[in-house]
Amino acid sequence: MSLSPNSFAYVSALVRRETAVIYDAGKEYLVEARLLPLAREAGEADVDAYVVRIQRDLVEARKAIDALTINETSWFRDNTPYQAFSEVMLPALLTNRGATRHLRIWSAACSSGQEAYSIAMLLHELLPAGWSAEILATDVSTAMLERVTAGRYGQVEMNRGMPATRLVRYFTRVGSSWEVAPELRAMVRTQHLNLAAPFPPLPTFDVVFLRNVLIYFEMDVKCDILRRTRDLVAPDGFLLLGSSETTLEMDVPWHREPIDRVQVLRPLVPATALTGA
Amino acid sequence: MSMSMRYDEPQLADVLALIEEVWRSFVGVDEPLLPAEPDTGSVAYAATVTITGGWDGAVTLEFGVGTAEAVSARMLGLDEITEADVADAIGELVNMVGGNVKSLMPGPSALSLPVVSTGRIAHSNDTVEVCRCELSWAGLPMAASVHAHRD
Amino acid sequence: MHALIIDDSRAMRMILRRIVTDLGFTCAEAGDGEQALQQIADGPRPDICMIDWNMPVMDGYTFVTRVRSQPELRDITLMMVTTESEHGQIVRALAAGAHEYVIKPFTPDAIVEKLTLLGLVRDGVPA
Repeated sequence: MSLSPNSFAYVSALVRRETAVIYDAGKEYLVEARLLPLAREAGEADVDAYVVRIQRDLVEARKAIDALTINETSWFRDNTPYQAFSEVMLPALLTNRGATRHLRIWSAACSSGQEAYSIAMLLHELLPAGWSAEILATDVSTAMLERVTAGRYGQVEMNRGMPATRLVRYFTRVGSSWEVAPELRAMVRTQHLNLAAPFPPLPTFDVVFLRNVLIYFEMDVKCDILRRTRDLVAPDGFLLLGSSETTLEMDVPWHREPIDRVQVLRPLVPATALTGA
Repeated sequence: MSMSMRYDEPQLADVLALIEEVWRSFVGVDEPLLPAEPDTGSVAYAATVTITGGWDGAVTLEFGVGTAEAVSARMLGLDEITEADVADAIGELVNMVGGNVKSLMPGPSALSLPVVSTGRIAHSNDTVEVCRCELSWAGLPMAASVHAHRD
Repeated sequence: MHALIIDDSRAMRMILRRIVTDLGFTCAEAGDGEQALQQIADGPRPDICMIDWNMPVMDGYTFVTRVRSQPELRDITLMMVTTESEHGQIVRALAAGAHEYVIKPFTPDAIVEKLTLLGLVRDGVPA
């Protein structure tokens, strides 16, 4: 039961586009080997049927891409956005939120939760006494949300981007896995959310992390998501995309404000609001 | 694949996950480790470590003809490979798999230095195989097993 | 930038050597802590030592304590690279003065990221 040339071509193109990983001629057996278990789990007859499925099912597309790139996401991914968060965004918010002394962060495609817990570590270290913060971690995959709630990560994952001092401060070993500390878990709440669909009722956020997920959508859906997200962010709030993502050429209500080489987006206030009409 | 269901022994799923992590890290991601039928050929190389202390046992990797050389060449980035290179490479692989199995089991315990042989390892009467997986890498046969000490 | 790799496993030394030389470091190797101290004394001074824990003659933990007890060696970054993953042991190593800790197995990316966190590498080249 082997993969059709069309299926292979589709999968190669998808993986190359999203991840730069190359599956060229001769690697068909690899795609077959990696997708067959997923196909079976998804109830598809074979890999070709599964490839048809991933063209319309974002959850399965994500699983397929993960399986084909064996991607271990990193803690504090790309590092500089987290530095910008600690050194610029958070101090600004501490200045401006004195009345409520409460911050709301949204990790909008949280995957297995490393982003949400990375943010939690920084908040745990930097929030002054008397302040509180909540991190909403959402994803379209309930399996991923369960991973966030479990807060357990493998040994190889713990090497990626995590300073050793934070490893021992915030994690305990359980078998050959590492489990996140209760004080971080208390800051993170999970919720199922499909970015491409209308958002459920959500609070106003101070910072949104929307990193490395827009790549999965067509341009018109990307713009739509960015527009709807703008309505959920405070006027002095911040949006972070993935390090190689950009809003150039897009008609979206955000303006780019570099912070130490990091592309940060700030909400564009509508003209009517400016005139106070 | 065979396994025991006692929970004070390493579980097959955990051992397999450990081996996959070691393989992905050092032997690369281009060829995955896949489940396989037991190989009918001979064992060309085996590497083993013992764990003593809170849990007593051994972790063994067996390689069919050609497998150990191919794995070692990939791991060390060499085009030509000697028997000594193979011993270094698969010794380190079993050291890492064993080190991780050790962390699954009650401690404190110590890991022995790896022992590498050209041929199967013979296990004594006071051990029992509690876990075994037949695998193939790049179409080449290999197997991993965990033995537990029994008084 | 110069790296000193300290591990009794020749295979591991070769793997780490490849990772750091690909980044542009020069590299030396030692099979145990005592050989490593000798190399440091003889020169050239490493910017970073990548240190296994379990080694004959002198283990990695002891090596770390020895280096950190010598003020003239305080600029050397010490990174443990070991299968030892017990929480208390990692705390001990950091308390003894290790700056970073990598648990085996690791990917080359993980080493590059740790070196970046330590300020020894920036944008994929020695800082």
